[in-house]
Amino acid sequence: MGTGTNVELKYEISQNAYIKLVLHSLRHKTAAVNGVLVGRLSPKDEGLVEISDSVPLFHSNLPLLPPLEISLVMIEEHYVAQGLSVVGYFHANERFDDVEVCGVAKNIGDHISRYFPQAPILLLNNKKLEALSKDYISSEKWKDVIDFDDHLDDVTKDWLNPGLFN
Amino acid sequence: MVTKTEETELNQLENQVENGGGGVWEYLCLVRKLKVRRSELVLKHGLSILNDPGKRSALGPDEWTLYEQVAIAAMDCQSLAVAQNCIKVLQKKFPESKRVGKIEALLLEAKGMWEEAEKAYSILLEDNPLDQVIHKRKVAMAKAQGKPSLAIEHLNKYLEVFMADHDAWRELAEIYVSLQMYKQAAFCYEELILSQPTLPLYHLAYAEVLYTIGGHENLIAARKYYASTIDLTGGKSTRALLGICLCGSAIAQLSKGRNKEDKDMAAPELQSLAATALEKEYKQKAPAKLNLLSSALRSLKL
Repeated sequence: MGTGTNVELKYEISQNAYIKLVLHSLRHKTAAVNGVLVGRLSPKDEGLVEISDSVPLFHSNLPLLPPLEISLVMIEEHYVAQGLSVVGYFHANERFDDVEVCGVAKNIGDHISRYFPQAPILLLNNKKLEALSKDYISSEKWKDVIDFDDHLDDVTKDWLNPGLFN
Repeated sequence: MVTKTEETELNQLENQVENGGGGVWEYLCLVRKLKVRRSELVLKHGLSILNDPGKRSALGPDEWTLYEQVAIAAMDCQSLAVAQNCIKVLQKKFPESKRVGKIEALLLEAKGMWEEAEKAYSILLEDNPLDQVIHKRKVAMAKAQGKPSLAIEHLNKYLEVFMADHDAWRELAEIYVSLQMYKQAAFCYEELILSQPTLPLYHLAYAEVLYTIGGHENLIAARKYYASTIDLTGGKSTRALLGICLCGSAIAQLSKGRNKEDKDMAAPELQSLAATALEKEYKQKAPAKLNLLSSALRSLKL
């Protein structure tokens, strides 16, 4: 995930992309969760990564390869039509005070950065989640978030979460 | 583990209860029976009964079971004051009770007072060294403190005595997976498949771990277990169907440059059967995603 060039990297994440990931963590409070960041290198500024969307992936058995491989194939297929690709990785640890980037996160981050060298790993600070969550919890929006795990258990559930912010 | 029927029943009751349709006591009993974790709802609705003297006395002797259930749910939601109050009630009614003692120790855990909780559990174990719940709390405490190796150690010791405890084997497998110790996880799933060979869940989990370890033999074996999962689920497991396709692709990749004798004979037919089944499923249930699935399957064939 190094810069490789002299350009200083900046990351911009859209509100919806960010909120989706937070809601995903809130829905599965007792588990580790992960997701991918979707976007592109800004056409105007090669030091800026525009993260326009995110896809929540799993809330169980994160390190297992088959579901991860399938999800990445499908996600890339979907977004390539919009000129976007997987540009980063999101992870929230199971335990409240765990701020380590675990082996799984590093491996997946490395894998993504092979295709997109500027890829960041976003690690959720669970402690800050507590303060943030009061608004989101009362709206109970987190109940509606669908991840890839949910989709694989029931394909009628849409990991694109189309109606989430209506 | 919960069956699909049980899950549907639970969700129905949950909806009913949440929308003011009554059935709170049935819901709480079902949660207790299935041993599922629905702490926020249990807390909310359990308290609505406990705080109403009329509803409370209508429960008769079940009142105390409810106090216990709400205490534990409160701890899970970090409502420690509520938990403390419930425990006080139980202490008053059942002084010197070991069962209440366990809940008291659980509260120490919830407060993060690990040493005190350890001590409390050790004392309880002296009188009942074969108490499975307490042994499992030791594993849970190790996990909560971020000491997975200790959790593994405790769990392995536990399984030497209680080797028929399937949930414990599953828990151990999942801890191993979270630490990327796949071979050890595979061993756990092998034990589970041996003891319950008709449960597709274990075949599927085993296949996924084998695939993750990788290598030609493991991929061939993974495919076999994906196939047995499909067999045991009557073809309904999307994960297993996708697994077959992934295995085919991975085996083909590895086989490039191998001798013709090693050629993967089963692959093409099995893969196209799985692909057809998947496309049928998506056409029926998720038609908007069908194109995506088809191009994903095509890219797997490359």
